[in-house]
Amino acid sequence: MHPRSPMPSTGSNPAVQRLRLWYSVFLLVAAVFIVRSFYLQVIRHDYYRQLAMNSQLKEYQIPAERGVIAAHDGDTVVPVVLNQKLYTLFADPKYIKDSWKDAHQIADAIGGDASYYEKQMKVNSRYSVLAKKLNKEQRAKVEKLKLKGVGTRETTYRTYPQGQLAAQLLGFVNDEGEGKYGLEQALDSQLKGQAGELRAITDARGIPLVANKDNIVKEAQAGKRVVLTIDIAMQKQLEDNLKAGLERAKSKSGDAMIMDPNTGAILAMASFPTYSPADFSKVEDANVFTNASVSSALEVGSSMKPLTAAAALDQGVVKRETTYFDPSFYDIDGYKITNIEEDGGAGTRSVSDIIQLSLNTGATWLLMQMGGGQINQKARQTWHGYMVDRYQFGKQTGIEQGYETAGTIPDPNDGYGLNLQYANTAFGQGMTATPLQMAGALASVVNGGTYYKPHLVDGYMNKDNQLVQQKPTVVKAGVIKPEVSQTVKEIMQYSFEKNHVGYGMPRLPAGYSIGGKTGTAQIAKPGGGYYEDKFNGTFTGFVGGDKPQYIIVTRVNEPKIPGYAGSKAAAPMFVDMTNMLINNFNVTPKS
Amino acid sequence: MAIGSLKARQQPTDLDGPRQRRHRPDYWLLLIATALIVIGLIVLYAISPGLAIQKQVGDNYFVNKQMIAIALGIVAFVAMANIPVNFWRHLQRPLLIAAALSAIAVRLFGERVNGAYRWIQVGGMSFQAAELIKFALLIWLACFLVERIQEGNLGDVKKTLQPLIIAMVIIGLVVGKVQSDFGSTAVMVAMIGSMAFVAGMPMKRVMMVGAIVAIGGLLLIAGSSYRRDRLMTFMHPEQDCQNAGYQVCQALITVGSGGMFGLGVANSVQAYGYLPEAANDSIFAILAEKFGFIGVTALVALFVTFFRRLFRIAERAPDDYSRLLVVGILAWLSTQVLINVGAMLGLLPLKGITLPFISYGGTSLVFVLGAVGLVFQISRYTVYRTAAVSSQTGQTTREGRANESAPHWRRNGRAHNPAVGRRSQA
Repeated sequence: MHPRSPMPSTGSNPAVQRLRLWYSVFLLVAAVFIVRSFYLQVIRHDYYRQLAMNSQLKEYQIPAERGVIAAHDGDTVVPVVLNQKLYTLFADPKYIKDSWKDAHQIADAIGGDASYYEKQMKVNSRYSVLAKKLNKEQRAKVEKLKLKGVGTRETTYRTYPQGQLAAQLLGFVNDEGEGKYGLEQALDSQLKGQAGELRAITDARGIPLVANKDNIVKEAQAGKRVVLTIDIAMQKQLEDNLKAGLERAKSKSGDAMIMDPNTGAILAMASFPTYSPADFSKVEDANVFTNASVSSALEVGSSMKPLTAAAALDQGVVKRETTYFDPSFYDIDGYKITNIEEDGGAGTRSVSDIIQLSLNTGATWLLMQMGGGQINQKARQTWHGYMVDRYQFGKQTGIEQGYETAGTIPDPNDGYGLNLQYANTAFGQGMTATPLQMAGALASVVNGGTYYKPHLVDGYMNKDNQLVQQKPTVVKAGVIKPEVSQTVKEIMQYSFEKNHVGYGMPRLPAGYSIGGKTGTAQIAKPGGGYYEDKFNGTFTGFVGGDKPQYIIVTRVNEPKIPGYAGSKAAAPMFVDMTNMLINNFNVTPKS
Repeated sequence: MAIGSLKARQQPTDLDGPRQRRHRPDYWLLLIATALIVIGLIVLYAISPGLAIQKQVGDNYFVNKQMIAIALGIVAFVAMANIPVNFWRHLQRPLLIAAALSAIAVRLFGERVNGAYRWIQVGGMSFQAAELIKFALLIWLACFLVERIQEGNLGDVKKTLQPLIIAMVIIGLVVGKVQSDFGSTAVMVAMIGSMAFVAGMPMKRVMMVGAIVAIGGLLLIAGSSYRRDRLMTFMHPEQDCQNAGYQVCQALITVGSGGMFGLGVANSVQAYGYLPEAANDSIFAILAEKFGFIGVTALVALFVTFFRRLFRIAERAPDDYSRLLVVGILAWLSTQVLINVGAMLGLLPLKGITLPFISYGGTSLVFVLGAVGLVFQISRYTVYRTAAVSSQTGQTTREGRANESAPHWRRNGRAHNPAVGRRSQA
């Protein structure tokens, strides 16, 4: 027994004393822990809760399904743009150990170039795309390999059941989900819908823990389902005719369109060369994306003359029977306005002759009549008023297309050589307009005087899959008087009857009213002036019975065949399309 | 000295002598241990979906494995509760050899995790060598200290202090350095310190040992950049929440976001990949997140109650050997709880150490339940030593009085005060 205990004795066992001391220290520490826990959990709770939320609560966008696009096919509505879920195969090179082996395994599973996969697995990035547009089976095959650092991601793609049909008109959706060109661009916000929002408590990898009550969900709103005014059968035949006509004229590019003059609805609209919107990323020349009928303005040339005549007739300054002496040239501001060689020289001409013979001097004379016999402020202002306020030139039509151009109309009051410039506009030079604007203007002239807004959207599908059609919009009523409309129509018919053989239509189909006007214009140089040997040919016309049913506008860029571009290249296309419409698309004969 | 002074009353240290009279064991031990295990299972079950996704296993993987561990733990408990405590005195040496072999095996065949060798795979389950070393240390220390008490040389530098210091150095090198398990090292050093302290080592010597431990600890910390980082992140966890301080930060966020009443058992989020080691070392934080301050207080209260039972049993242990065993186990388990919880509360540097009973992990649970079995057995033989002392001095101690005057249901339910005179002095 030791002489004394080192600890003060209270009469108990010293070992127990030490044990108690030990235990007291433990209790003290436990008490400190409780205090600390109170501090963390109660006093600083809000702070830590916030920190937790900062990392746990994530906001997600739920992508909305993009609206599909349909078009008419006779009496039915058929899809032209649909959505398809495909998969993007990607690699995170950081996790790839044996890229050669992985790449060959992938190539064996889904095909493709193993060396390309291997190259992509070595890029200095955390996200490297190996392949796009894998289907479900391919995806399953790749996932089965269970390669570390290789994954798939669902991506929605546009698909085109009609292939390349109406490619420029439709446009495409790029990899960022943005509509580009055509309808996809113009209606992007409507087609896109409204992305939903998901605020969710997630695990560390960002995957929502669904059961959590803190989730706030806003449902995604799918985009509108659009039905076009386009008739796909007509579109198909228009594209075939366009392609054939351009080949015949040895031209590389051109465009054509058909409009319903009584509503402004575009029934077919095509540009060439074209592309496959499903493979937009493979296109090298971005020019093929543009819908030339709305994006490419040109000097419309002689196609303008019926409109000039309509304005003069509407003003009452000339009558259908009015004749005048044509000197075969006018001298304006020191410049000579002349005609083509086949005009027949100086002589007495009628208003119909101006159209039929395509007299530049005649158009100039018409403009002079608007000014009381000469080109002056009044003539310019009157003609400007017709061009801009009535025929809607110089401003966008507002058609549902990306990159629509407005064209240009010179100011009537200000500028150098105004009179010459305005004389030029009377026969379609010194101003520009798109084929669509020409179609709209001609429609208003031949339909009795109402300018309908050119449009491609017939309506939208509602929840019950019923088409809710939109009413045509009248932009301008009373463009010209109804009787003037009738007169211009007859003049154009007369002109066409006289010239149809030259246009490549040896025999006129009986019982229909067909009219139109060629246009040949020099192509403007980018820096000013004109190319001596480069021309555009256009033809603007109508076909119908008692009243016009279709407006057709064709354009051929730089045809390489002899003769005037308008009558030798563009007019034959008009003839083909007229036949096509009469044969297949219910043109009502004259009663 | 403390226990040594009582030597006169000890029964002979005949290892295979007749067993003492048994009385009712301390069923509270069993009850609280069961409660803690069930709490652990509930938490594990609740966070299993999150864990399963991270580890790419089935939803029931963790719970099933833990059930197997519990079954093995029950076997260990029953065995330890029935093998006479004195039996282990024979196995001192084999146990030490087994511990040494396991340490070597871990170094040779072990899995290397974060630069440390701690685990070996044994038939589909992983085995943590440190747990066996703790048990061997416990038995050796009890035997060693009892011998010193009996020889009366607890204060002797050469006979007592030297071996203890050597033991600590070996542990520091093997467990602390090679296995890089600073937590287990701390637990073992606490066991040595606590057992020596309660055995009655003079305070001067105790302080010497404390100083040596402090210096050794500093050397260990200074010698490892990994630990230096840990210490730095302990002091300023918010400066490095993304890297070294990530786990500390997440632990504090987890605990703090629990609030007063917790998010509810099913609503913990931090287990879904935010908090590392959510099922093992960090399970306390998850529990705090689920059950809030109320839950933490209840859990701490449960542990305190449990350790109070151990403390009581140690107080009334029939002999020095039994007492030291209980004290060792008390030091082992309580240090582990304090280090684990302290780390989760940001009060102690983070250590990879399990929370006894609660954490997922087989080896820990088997050995902890085995240790509880040992205490359970000793609880059958407790005596009212204080009362006995008082009977010598003719006074009645407070505790003696308390029990005598307590109504029957409040008594400890064990055998009547065994008077010294009635006990066999064989």
